[in-house]
Amino acid sequence: MSSTTFEPTPPSRGENFGTAGNTAGSRAGDSLSTGPGPSFPRVLNSEFIKFRTLLSTLILLGCTVLVVVGFGALSAWGTGQFAEAATSDPEAAAAFAAQGGDLAVGVPTSGIAFAQLILGSLGVLLMSSEFTTGMARSTFAAVPKRLPAFAAKLLVVMVTAFVLTAASVYLAGLVSLPILDNYNLNLDLSSSQSVKMLLVNSLYVAAVAAIGMALGAIIRNSAGGIMSLVGLFFVAPIAFQLIPGDFFVEARKYLPGNTVEPMIAVEHLPDTLEAWQAALVLGAWVVIPVVLAAVLLKKRDV
Amino acid sequence: MIEARGLTKVYGEKTAVAGINFTVEAGRVTGFLGPNGAGKSTTMRMIMGLDRPTSGSVTVNGVPFDRHHAPLRDVGALLDAKAVHTSRSAYNHLLAMAATHSIPKKRVHEVIEMTGLADVAKKKVGGFSLGMGQRLGIAAALLGDPQTVILDEPVNGLDPEGVVWVRNLVKYLASEGRTVFLSSHLMSEMAVTADHLIVIGRGKIIADAPIQDIINGKGRIRTRVRTDQPDQLMQLLAGEGVSVELQDNELLEVTGLDPRRIARAALDSHVMIYELTPLQASLEEAYMELTKDEVEYHSLITTGDNAPVPSGGN
Repeated sequence: MSSTTFEPTPPSRGENFGTAGNTAGSRAGDSLSTGPGPSFPRVLNSEFIKFRTLLSTLILLGCTVLVVVGFGALSAWGTGQFAEAATSDPEAAAAFAAQGGDLAVGVPTSGIAFAQLILGSLGVLLMSSEFTTGMARSTFAAVPKRLPAFAAKLLVVMVTAFVLTAASVYLAGLVSLPILDNYNLNLDLSSSQSVKMLLVNSLYVAAVAAIGMALGAIIRNSAGGIMSLVGLFFVAPIAFQLIPGDFFVEARKYLPGNTVEPMIAVEHLPDTLEAWQAALVLGAWVVIPVVLAAVLLKKRDV
Repeated sequence: MIEARGLTKVYGEKTAVAGINFTVEAGRVTGFLGPNGAGKSTTMRMIMGLDRPTSGSVTVNGVPFDRHHAPLRDVGALLDAKAVHTSRSAYNHLLAMAATHSIPKKRVHEVIEMTGLADVAKKKVGGFSLGMGQRLGIAAALLGDPQTVILDEPVNGLDPEGVVWVRNLVKYLASEGRTVFLSSHLMSEMAVTADHLIVIGRGKIIADAPIQDIINGKGRIRTRVRTDQPDQLMQLLAGEGVSVELQDNELLEVTGLDPRRIARAALDSHVMIYELTPLQASLEEAYMELTKDEVEYHSLITTGDNAPVPSGGN
């Protein structure tokens, strides 16, 4: 560190201070500043800068793309093998027919379970790290109303999760095409079912990221937040299946992780929610934690 | 100007700040002095709207912090040495802060230069020393060129050069007519930096006065006396509010009696004294005196083999 930075005598530092026309003379009295304050677009810009300047965030985003594309390719290969076996093995052929024969359409989204885990954890981390590192004090000193900062962060995370998932799924589709072609399977990425699966899954991952952020804001602890997320999306569905009783069979349908299937089903499957019901349930899973997080964020000490 | 009225903060069963009133005026450096755990940081966090007061209120320029139109342009604060994400660079941290108020990049570079961070601005904050963290906190506080500057223990971890720099900086800011509120538990630092002092202990204001008054007013009169007949002189001087301490064979320290009266008493009884030295109480001593009963954590000074074994893990 050069010592010259300590040199400035008061007059020369005065030049540095005289920004925005604030001279010593005009400072007299208790006048409040009239310069730009933390409007929502500015807070959004700030949150976006914070988002893109963390290496760990960029790494997680990169991992998401790799995992979705990788699983897409793997799934294309597996589906092809399965279809090939179906031509020689009557048992496999029966199973293949039972699946409606249209396995290829699900190939690009086969990595979604991992995308939701990564981006959901990212949602938790982006919020919990504010508190664990002390950054929250800087954030909320700049935006003392607090909620605009939370809303901006939520928007950044959800939009990123949606766009990234959509792009990864599309890329997974492109990578799968030549593999599926090898096995004489067709995949039309522009078919209405393909588009629907891409959009629903991307929205779903954005919703999981939002739930993660809410958990991060409520729990304020990275490990605790991620464990809660994993509990909700990976442990609860299995536990609900193992516990006997009609209640759990019924309740299982309302878990957030089980809302995607009804929404992408070509036709309504028995014992599942209607598509619109599933959408409402997922919406509630987002809105309730987010509102709770916002209320707590406003009320609690930082 | 910062005004606190009946400001109270209770955490569970512990009262951190107990209904304090004070005013921090513009145009001078106001020191906020107190031992660790006295409630300084809690008070400062309440000023910045980060901790919600249990009762009472605090305003900056007449308005609660969260109702300021452009908070960073009105009030800049260094609250904790590292209120920064450890994986982000100093430059990006300041850039993100600046973005909330459309503060130009030029200003970000200015505060980096001003605080001597130019060489490390692109490095991750996690690797910063305590001193560099403090510089970054000060840079963030000055980002909005605020009328009010709040610094919580700014010289903690700074090298001597940095200490002098902070001292000159706060004095200069005050001379520009800004409100400067500076906390420390180091009395010696306050003695050379602050114009006015607010002393806090266990969440209560103990003193609120110009620094000179605190040095003069609260320090008690002590006199060093050397005599051949210490026992006789001790008896002569004994009385209400007077304490005499025998320091060695011929040396006494008298508290609570001015030197003129000691000399008169000695002369009247034909006791020869050959040294009579008034001792000025330093701010440090005055502060110890002030906070003697208000310190939450006393250190146990132990010597030799009979050091007590601490009970309970710590």
